[in-house]
Parts: sequence; structure tokens; C-alpha cells
Amino acid sequence: MPRLEIIDLNIHFGGIRALNGVSFSIEDHQLFGLIGPNGAGKTTILNIINGVYPPSSGRLCLDGQDMIGLKPHQIAKMGVARTFQNIELFKNMTVIDNLMLGRHQFIQSGILAGSFYLGKCLNEEMINRDRVEEIIEFLEIEAYRKKVVRMLPFGIQKRVELGRALSMDPKILLLDEPCSGMNTEETEDMARFILDIKEEMGVSIMMIEHNMEVVMDIADRICVINFGIKIAEGNPKQIQSDPRVIKAYLGEDE
Amino acid sequence: MTLEKKMIELTLPRLFENRVKELGDAVALREKKKGLWRRISWNEYHTHVRDFCLGLRSLGLQKGDRVSILGDNCPEWLYADLAVQCAGGISVGVYPTNSYIQVRYILDHSQSKFVIVKDQEQADKVLLIKDQLPQMERMMVIDLKGLRKYDDPLLTSFCEVEETGKRIHEGTPSLFREMIESTKSDDVAIIVYTSGTTGPPKGAMLSHQNITSVLDSFFEVLRIQREDSLVSVLPLCHVAERLFSLFIPMKSGCTINFAESIDTLQADLAEISPTILLTVPRILEKIHSAVTIKMQDAHPVKKWAYHQFLPIGQEVAEQRLFKQEVSLFLRFVYWVAYLFVFRPLRNRLGLLQVRECVSGAAPLSKDIMKFFHGIGLMVKEAYGLTECTGVFSMPLGDDIEIGTVGKPIPGWEYKIADDGEILMKGPAVFAGYFRDEEATKQVKKEGWLFSGDIGEFDARGHLKITDRKKEILITASGKNIAPSEIENRLKFSPFIKEAIIIGDKRPYLSALIQIDLDNVADWAQRKEIPFTTFKSLSRDPEVYKLIQEEVDKANKELSRIEGIKKFVLLEKELDRDDDELTATMKVRREMIEKKYGDLIEKLYQ
Repeated sequence: MPRLEIIDLNIHFGGIRALNGVSFSIEDHQLFGLIGPNGAGKTTILNIINGVYPPSSGRLCLDGQDMIGLKPHQIAKMGVARTFQNIELFKNMTVIDNLMLGRHQFIQSGILAGSFYLGKCLNEEMINRDRVEEIIEFLEIEAYRKKVVRMLPFGIQKRVELGRALSMDPKILLLDEPCSGMNTEETEDMARFILDIKEEMGVSIMMIEHNMEVVMDIADRICVINFGIKIAEGNPKQIQSDPRVIKAYLGEDE
Repeated sequence: MTLEKKMIELTLPRLFENRVKELGDAVALREKKKGLWRRISWNEYHTHVRDFCLGLRSLGLQKGDRVSILGDNCPEWLYADLAVQCAGGISVGVYPTNSYIQVRYILDHSQSKFVIVKDQEQADKVLLIKDQLPQMERMMVIDLKGLRKYDDPLLTSFCEVEETGKRIHEGTPSLFREMIESTKSDDVAIIVYTSGTTGPPKGAMLSHQNITSVLDSFFEVLRIQREDSLVSVLPLCHVAERLFSLFIPMKSGCTINFAESIDTLQADLAEISPTILLTVPRILEKIHSAVTIKMQDAHPVKKWAYHQFLPIGQEVAEQRLFKQEVSLFLRFVYWVAYLFVFRPLRNRLGLLQVRECVSGAAPLSKDIMKFFHGIGLMVKEAYGLTECTGVFSMPLGDDIEIGTVGKPIPGWEYKIADDGEILMKGPAVFAGYFRDEEATKQVKKEGWLFSGDIGEFDARGHLKITDRKKEILITASGKNIAPSEIENRLKFSPFIKEAIIIGDKRPYLSALIQIDLDNVADWAQRKEIPFTTFKSLSRDPEVYKLIQEEVDKANKELSRIEGIKKFVLLEKELDRDDDELTATMKVRREMIEKKYGDLIEKLYQ
């Protein structure tokens, strides 16, 4: 059974058909690249998976469980984590606090117990902090642990956002342009982290990325969409030589 | 048999056993992990060493076999080092910053049977060259992150080897002790590959006797106690760091701390606030220029206080060094300065508790030394070679004379040869270069170790090192010049990172100068000078003017013949990967003079 299955997904906003019958599935431990020109509907797919938009029609299953109609927080609880095109962090909070927020769904104790910080609550905090520290070590952001996010360089903020998604212990990680706005070195670091996440943590990853070099280098499987329609799917080699993809990206001679 | 004699009979593993018996559950090591300092007791330390040692043995390690260790400092580095020595093997440290080509040279030359690597980065280097290393049997990886998918038969995890060792220990609990007891004091314990400013690195073999004898004499000059704590920062494969992080604790029982990562070093240092600091001029220079630059952005009051009090601090330090009575008034002002400026500054730098600060590996400029003495940190310069197991001379107590490296520590017999070269004799003279009889014969003649350094003793018996024998310049007018002193004077400027003096067989001295990118960039921003890269910054005429001013300042303090007439700014930073610097960041003069030959010729047109 695939980890995430998308069957015949359609969505329209008023008269605009943003997605038209898109289907694909992501296997366990797979790094799935989603590419396409601007406005192709890539982020819309992520928003549907996240439960931000309800699709007009189609099926969406995580581990065989239907996700349509669920609220974003319910979907998050099922094990779907995400990073955004423009960093979405609490800018005035520290790295640790942002990551601890990612653990929110694992924290059982209520506001009253939390304010006294005793027994079970303290224990819970320690367990969750331990996991957060593992992620900090994994992403090599020890030096920024107690820094306020707003003050950090862009590349590091991106890494912190990835950490926030990872601290949810997701089954599937949705990355929306993880390498955008980064220099070569930062891009290389990010690519290495994404690969390590797949290998070390066994998370399935769906990644939207415009940096073709990165996608072709690290993705196991790639799906190309254009104007809301899936035009190709395959491994990086097949995609690179697919005439429809070349046409979508380079245009066609009249 | 005297006690001292008995110490010499000891080996490092035996010293280790004694410390474990004595200290048991006391803290031996601290490592920051997951944001917390984790304590490792002597007993735990012992268990790790024992298990890894027995594990190595079961994999076929025999007496005299070489095992290389490649990676950043961590407790496992020490476990591996000691474990190899306990098994009668010889451990070889490799710089983690080495390229795979340099790693191949050392693994191949040392004929290492095993290699212990820290992480994926280092493991990848070894996997790249494994086909060229017929002696290599196994690689043990400490941190498996990113390596779980590798299925190379060469790979084993560090933990797995420890597990094997643990099972063996449960079967034959006396085995480890027997192994330790069979270590002999004249066995080679470690091979230290010298960084080599000329030619390929050479492997200096140090025996247990070398190590224990240098420890004995070292403790007569600088007594390190159980309460002391150190942060292990410099590469462990260097003999000085090995002395401080491994050898010294075996005698004193002091605590060694490992920072979380290089990025967090400054913060970790402040948290631990070590009492003993081993450092190199480069680090002190960096701290000095960071403080100088940061002070420009400081609050006006702070800035004012800093600039008012620093000269007072230096004056007091100078008077103390010359053993003069410091007047009551000055003492009071210094106390105020210490309270409001120097103490908080040192606290910020993580150097508040430092009671002994030893700088080695390269000569330290007098001005840097004065700066640190001014803020109350009595930096001492020590002198030694890998071939003499680290330390030859070091100031005793507070008998520090700026510009000298103190008196030779007890146990050394020494003399100055006719040509000024320092010769030394004693139980700490190394056993020889590994697989290089020829080189050994060149430095060890009739029991004397030829240091290759020119030096002299002053009236009070303090040793003053002039320079490396090979690096002394003779100008066209026949004047001998020691370049390192002039270079250090130039490097005192926060804007100059590296300077290479040229002048051998030339009419005057000139210099190749590499600007300090951070500080010059900062200066350029203040002056609103546009630039894009290191290259464009180096080419800027304003920057040239800035450096000219710095050179002029230095020239004023130098004799006319030592003055720098011309200089040129390098348009690229010197790099290890381009063979311009050694692993310890020393300039490879020969290489640079060859590479920048055209540039140098232009200076003499």
C-alpha cells in the first residue's frame, strides 16, 4: 500500500480549474519531486493534502485512510508535516520554542498542570525536549538553539522550519521549495539534509522545487504538472528526456 | 629505586589504571550533547577503553600494529587512542581537515591496519582511497549518521566493536589487565605526523617513556591539579593537544571538556570557563582582533572605559613582568579597571577562570601578549617540538619575560650549536621517524636532537627563539633576518591576517600580505567603499592605503634594515587545499615563494 495516494484530484476556484484529474502515489521511504512551471498548481496540491482547501472531487488517502473532509490539525496528527515557500515560523520566539511547538500534538497535559510544571508535565516536557534536541543535532543548528528566529540568516531559518516540521515525527513531509533563495552552499547543505532525513528517519518526502539540479540529483521519482494537468511521471532520467516536459519548460516552436 | 625513576618505568595505560582506581566515579570527561553537559566518570571512561580495546584485539590487532584515528575531538577519540595503546598497538592521529590525498599518505605510510573515523565526512575520504590501502582491514565509525545505507564490508560501528569487547570481558575478566601489564615503557605508543612546512609529513614515533618523562618534568613547572578543567579545542593529533587532553589528565586527574560543535565553541567555553587553556597564536590573534572590532560598535561608555583602562592594564602588567613595585594608586585603578572592564570582558570570552594559559606551536607577537597580560591573562609562551614530545621550555610560575619561552623544563640537557641551533638531549627525545632512517639520522646525532630552530639564552637563562633555521633570510647586504618576528608585528594589525616576508638575497625586505576579510570588510562598510569579493577588496586602492598605514606603523618599531619597503596584497586567501598552509595553519614559505614568484619579482623591479 502506498504511503500517500492521490486519485483523480480536481479543484476549481470560481471558473478557474486549478487541478484537473491529477493522480499519483508516494511510496514508503520515497523522495517524490513535484515540478512544473509557475502557476501549475503545485502548491495547491500541498494545500489540499494539508486540508487547507477541500478538493472539488477526488480521493486522498494516507496509509489507506481517507483524508478528505478532515481539518488541517487532524491531518497533521495523522503524520503530515510541511514547510512553506515563505518561511512560516514564530519570528520572535527562539529556535527551541519553535521546535517545541512542533511537538504540540504530543503534549497531553493541560494548561493547569503546565502552569505548575510538576510530575507528569515535567516528564512530558523532558521527553519532547529530548526529541527536539535530537533534531537540532541532526540539522546542526546547535549554535542557534537559544537565538530568536528573526535574527537568524535566511538559510538557517529555512533549516529551523524544516526542524519544526520534523519535530512532529511525520510519516510524510511536504517541502515547498526548500532551496529557494539559497546560495550554492546552503542549497547543497539542504539537499544533504533532505537525503539524510529520508535515510535516517525513514520519512516519505514530497518536494516542490524549482532548482532542477537538486531535484534531478536527489529525487527517486518525479511528477510534472502543467496548468493543473499531470503531464509526466517517472524517474529523473525519464523525466529529463520526456518531450512533453521539455515542451512545458522550454515552449514550442511555432 | 627513586619515585621519579619508577614513574619513567610506567606506561600511559598503567597511569590510566592508577587514575581509575584512585578517582572511580569522579568526573573525567564532559561532553555537551543535546544542549546539556554529560559527565563521564573515570569508571565509565575505563569501561569504554576496555571494551574497545578487547574488541580491537578480537578483530586481530596485535602488538605494534598501527591504528589511525581521523576526526574531530570527542571522547571516543580518547577511548580509541588509549584502547590502541592498551593493546600494545600504536595510535596515529590524522587531521580531520586533511584532504583525502593527505589522508591516504598517512594511512599508507603508517601501514594502518584499522582506522577509526568520526563521521560520514571522514568515512567518505577513506572509502574513496580504500583500494589503494592494501593494509587496511577495518574502519570503525563513531557517528553513523548518514552511513546506515553503506554496506561496505570495511565498515563497522564503534559501538559494535565495544559490544564485542564487552562480551570478551565477561568471558575472561582478567584479559584487559594482563594486556595493560604487558605494555612496556620503551614501546612506541603513538606516531605523530608532523605538519611539515617542507616536504611530506614525517611520522615521529613517541614511546611511553617519552610521554611519562615529559609529564614528570612538565609537572615540575606547571602543576595541574584534579580540580582543573580544560576544553579540548585544538586537533588531538597534534602532540601539544594530546599532551593536555590525554597525557596530563592521566597524571593529574583533571577534567577534559568537549564542545558541542565548532560553531558553539565560544558559548561552550564561557559555560565551562576552563582553568587551563592551551592555545595557539592564531586563536589569540583572532580573539584580539574580534575584541578590537567589536569595541567600535560598543556603547560609548563601554568604548571609553575600554580605551582608558587598557593602557593602564598594560602598564601594570609590564611593571609586574619587570618585577617592579606597582604603586598603590595604580593598583587601585587597576582594580577598578579589572572590575568594570577586564573581568566582564574575560567572562564574555570564557577566559575568566583561566589560571594558566599556554601558547605554543608558533611564535606569538609581543603586542598580542601585552594585550592579554593587560586584561590580566598571563599568557605563557612554551616551546617544543613533536620530536621532543611537545615541551622543551616554558616559563615557571609568573616568571614570564615577553619575547622568550622561559627556561628549559627539568630533565633536558641542552646546548646551542655554533650556528645557533638549539640541541637537546633527554629521555623525551623521540624514538625516530617511522620508516625513515635517513630523516632520523639527520636530526638525531650522538644522542642530541637537532631542533632546527635558532635561539639564544639571555642573561637570566631564558631561551629566546629567533626563527626556524631554514627560514632565516640573508639580505643582499649580508644581514641575517628572522622573518617571523616581523611577520608577527604585521599580523598584530586586525586588518592583516597573514604576512610573508621576502628578502633572501635581495636588497631590501618586502611582504606578501593577506588582508583579514572580516575586519577589512567591516572597515570598508564603515567607509562606504563598495566591494564584492575578497579579490575586489584586495584590489581597492583605499584598502591598499589602509594596509600601507599599518605597515608604516610596524616599520616605526622595526630597525631600518628590517623595515618593509614594498608590499603587495594577495588576491586570494591562502588555503590548505592549495598546499599554501600546513594542517596547523602555518605558512608553507617555499610553496608560496614558488607560486607567487611573478608577484615577488615585481616588488624588486
